Amino acid sequence: MAAPVRRVLLCPLRRILTQIPCSGVASSGCRQLSVGLRVPAVQKPNDVVLESPSPWRLLGAVFVQRLAVISRDRSPIEKDFAELLKQTELERSLLADHELRLLEDAERVSRKQEEDYDSDEDSGQDIVTAQDLEDTWDQKLRQFKPAQRLTGSIQKQLLNSEADKKADRTCLERCLEDSLVLLVKEKIGSEDVWLLPQVQWENGETLRETAERALTTLTGNSIKATFLGNAPCGVYKYKFPKDVRTESCVGAKVFFFKALLGSGDIAPNKKGGHVWVSKTELQDYLKPQYLEQVGRFMVDL
Amino acid sequence: MNPLLTKTLLARNEKVLQQTVSVLRLAVSNPHPVLGCVLQSSERQYRSMPTHGIGRYKYLLPKEVPKKKKEKLQVKAIKTGTDTEYGVLNVQVSGHDMTIVEHYSQYVHNLCNRLKIKVDESYALPTKCTEVMLLQEQGTKMFADAVLSTHERIVQLSSLSSKLAPVFLEVLLRNQPEGVQLSIKEHTEADFYARFKARPELEELIAQIN
Repeated sequence: MAAPVRRVLLCPLRRILTQIPCSGVASSGCRQLSVGLRVPAVQKPNDVVLESPSPWRLLGAVFVQRLAVISRDRSPIEKDFAELLKQTELERSLLADHELRLLEDAERVSRKQEEDYDSDEDSGQDIVTAQDLEDTWDQKLRQFKPAQRLTGSIQKQLLNSEADKKADRTCLERCLEDSLVLLVKEKIGSEDVWLLPQVQWENGETLRETAERALTTLTGNSIKATFLGNAPCGVYKYKFPKDVRTESCVGAKVFFFKALLGSGDIAPNKKGGHVWVSKTELQDYLKPQYLEQVGRFMVDL
Repeated sequence: MNPLLTKTLLARNEKVLQQTVSVLRLAVSNPHPVLGCVLQSSERQYRSMPTHGIGRYKYLLPKEVPKKKKEKLQVKAIKTGTDTEYGVLNVQVSGHDMTIVEHYSQYVHNLCNRLKIKVDESYALPTKCTEVMLLQEQGTKMFADAVLSTHERIVQLSSLSSKLAPVFLEVLLRNQPEGVQLSIKEHTEADFYARFKARPELEELIAQIN
């Protein structure tokens, strides 16, 4: 596994610059991702005349993720180690210009107090001493209030009852340190099933276009997602129950495509219901075999 | 008569001997006129000697190509992508905190090495400093409040396969630290020339010619 980068407990830079005093997350949005890649043009399949149509129905599904907005809290060991590193770095570093100025000013003051002080010898003195600058900066820092980190622990305190927790799962602003996946409730056969937004493949289009179509039809046109590449990331194959099976379709194969959420959210008045869940909450919604296949490509670093 | 004769004979013999000796010396001391001044000293090479050539070693060393001092950077033809592979990509990491930016770019480089993605180059663009000027509270003068410096590091990849690209991208995005902007672009000639300094005299001369 690649070694994790040293994480810094800073709020995202734009928050510091704009100084929004807010209790919630004002513009959580998602991190800016600019992928200026010209993805190789999707090749249209030539008119393939299938001699014997395969008995499997093909479906394209999309796995939309909102990536984590804040980094996770540090574990106690990580905190201790970070403190230790900071300490050693401070002790080994050289003095900065500002610190040198502070020392010089202190020395000048002590020289003034001596009896044999000659004011002519003293070199030019500044009107604004380094100490004054530090005081003004201290004042400014006290006035600044960073936005609150709504991590999982604080969320649990804010949410009161179980019902609230369930209903709140449609909100995009929860669990800022985990990534959330979109799940949609569909009616398959006779029962309602929670699954990733999927749509049947039509002749003449590539599977990735099917996935894009799934995203736009099942969620309305409000979500903007960037697809990562043309290749699917996972497959789920299942056979229909015996009474539904015919000669031409034995079962279905679902191909999953990964996408990252850019902006936008689903309109709340969707019929079936949609949910944004993290990896641990997926078990409550997905069927075990489906979950197993999805878990194979869902990365949770 | 006899002693005179013998003396002259002796003298003549000596002269002849000296001449022959000197000729021999000349002949011996210059057996290989091709080698020139190498053997001007008193070394003599006898090829029939069993120790001939003992101490020769330069023929065992690998051939060294003479180093050129200054190479003019030639614009290499930038590879374009095929259907299954991307061409030359620039992964650009930028931010204000130098340690984080450098660590992240090193992480990207190491990840590429692990995943066997070929890394062409890994370089840094010059730092850009932006001064934040604020209006003074009393008065209309602006004074410099802070200096923000933007650091940029670029890792250049080539032949990233399209199967690996989504996985690679996702790993990068998940491990992106706060305060760092990541952008992936295709490499162009403009990017290549952006690294060079402007040469005003050259441009003046070219303008004069045209």
